[in-house]
Amino acid sequence: VGTEVKTAAETAAPPARTLQRGPAAAGAAAASPGPAWRRVPLLVLGFAALVAGTGAGLARLAWPMPAPVAGAAAWHGPLMICGFFGVVISLERAVAIGRRWAYAGPLLAGLGGVAALQSGAAAAPWLHLGAGAMLLAASLHVLGRQREAFHVVIALGAASWVAGTALWALGAAVHEVVGAWLAFLVLTIAGERLELSRFMPPARGARRLFNAIIAAVVVATAATLLLARPVSPVPPPEATWAASVAVRGLGAALVALAAWLLANDLARRTVRQAGLTRFVAVCLLSGYGWLAVGGAVMAVDGLAPGGAGYDAALHALLLGFVFAMVFGHAPIIFPAVLRLKLPYHGVFYAPLALLHASLALRLAGDALRAAEPASAAAFGLVRAGALASALALAAFVLVMASAAWRGRRRVHAARALETG
Amino acid sequence: MNPPIDEDIVREALRTVQDPEAGMNIVDLGLVYGISAGPDGVAVRMTMTSAACPVAEMMVDEAREVLKRSLPVGTPVEVELVWDPPWTPDRMSGLAREHFGWAPR
Repeated sequence: VGTEVKTAAETAAPPARTLQRGPAAAGAAAASPGPAWRRVPLLVLGFAALVAGTGAGLARLAWPMPAPVAGAAAWHGPLMICGFFGVVISLERAVAIGRRWAYAGPLLAGLGGVAALQSGAAAAPWLHLGAGAMLLAASLHVLGRQREAFHVVIALGAASWVAGTALWALGAAVHEVVGAWLAFLVLTIAGERLELSRFMPPARGARRLFNAIIAAVVVATAATLLLARPVSPVPPPEATWAASVAVRGLGAALVALAAWLLANDLARRTVRQAGLTRFVAVCLLSGYGWLAVGGAVMAVDGLAPGGAGYDAALHALLLGFVFAMVFGHAPIIFPAVLRLKLPYHGVFYAPLALLHASLALRLAGDALRAAEPASAAAFGLVRAGALASALALAAFVLVMASAAWRGRRRVHAARALETG
Repeated sequence: MNPPIDEDIVREALRTVQDPEAGMNIVDLGLVYGISAGPDGVAVRMTMTSAACPVAEMMVDEAREVLKRSLPVGTPVEVELVWDPPWTPDRMSGLAREHFGWAPR
């Protein structure tokens, strides 16, 4: 790294136009009501989908919910995946590339969530499709800026969202496209983890193995979509059988990915550190455990819609794996997106522990239901686990809000010191 | 007359900016590409490991903030985010490489 030293021959010359000066700018980044606040309405749309989607999921399990939420029970999956994750992932990509057009992604995803809660629900899939197209465009923009394999993986994730949502808009059922939606989230996370694994020396053959696993995820996902209703209008028994094989293959690929991540992820090393870095690593490693469990259930059960295996696999993958990633990265990403400080506190572990415990309860109920389909105890466990998961999400939002409050006070204190 | 700003002071200040995920500072991670200190102020060129990472803008601001705090009042500071040349693990310092388990060079 070549550096250049100029000696100061005279008092500081008037600064060039690009240079900011004076202590007034110090600390401004953390609190300035600059463009960061314009991102708030987008996040509000995403969090509205999260709240409504969680309520819709609870309504399905016969928890009493207000009418608009209970009425959206059928939209639980789309609200969570397209309405919430769609907004936050598109928003973080838009912030990363810093292009105004990319913000159309989170906006469309957020509007899709709103549409799902209104009578205009028919528009929701199309709005989400538009959001997916924008996310794919933003991901390709990133790939153009930095030609790296991990950006290809991230772009494949966006493409999976587009493909699955396109079939859904054309009439496929959610359970037929859910494999593609899972691939959207899994590939997005896998690409980011591959990127960060570059800090560590690569293990022999690890990159080639990673590429093979990603190829398996993509092929299996494509197969699940090719066998979905709009593509195969008359599902003969062979097609149903083939669809089940594709889903099982996807599950097996997810198990392999979990094993790869547990062996090669940066978190293995950073978990020995302290504070936020360790918390992020614990979120990741525990999430990989659920990725393995969800993938294994998918591989064995084949995701028969409405069955105990379907409930167990999807919630292990989405709550256990994806939400653990959200819990770990929110304290890093939210400060970047909203320009808030979220100082680390040991209490961050509480919602994470509740999330994992609630999911274990739910999967115990699913296992019991698989053995005894009419078991009231099994339904009770799933129901209690679901409520506890919802409480874990609420606790997480509260913990982040209290961290933002502490961060704000810290910024004010620092500023009081600076201004004397 | 202001005393000349030492490049090492700038580098040490930047060492307090951490990549929270890696648990390591941006200097040892090799993210700081260039520092120039002169009578016109301080200019820093830095990168990030991924162009898809939304944290880039915040890290640049944090670097700017840290420099404002560590340098004499009124020193103009410019921090520029660049993507070329791309970051590679070879840019990490000996300390970072050892921390992440690389064999000594």
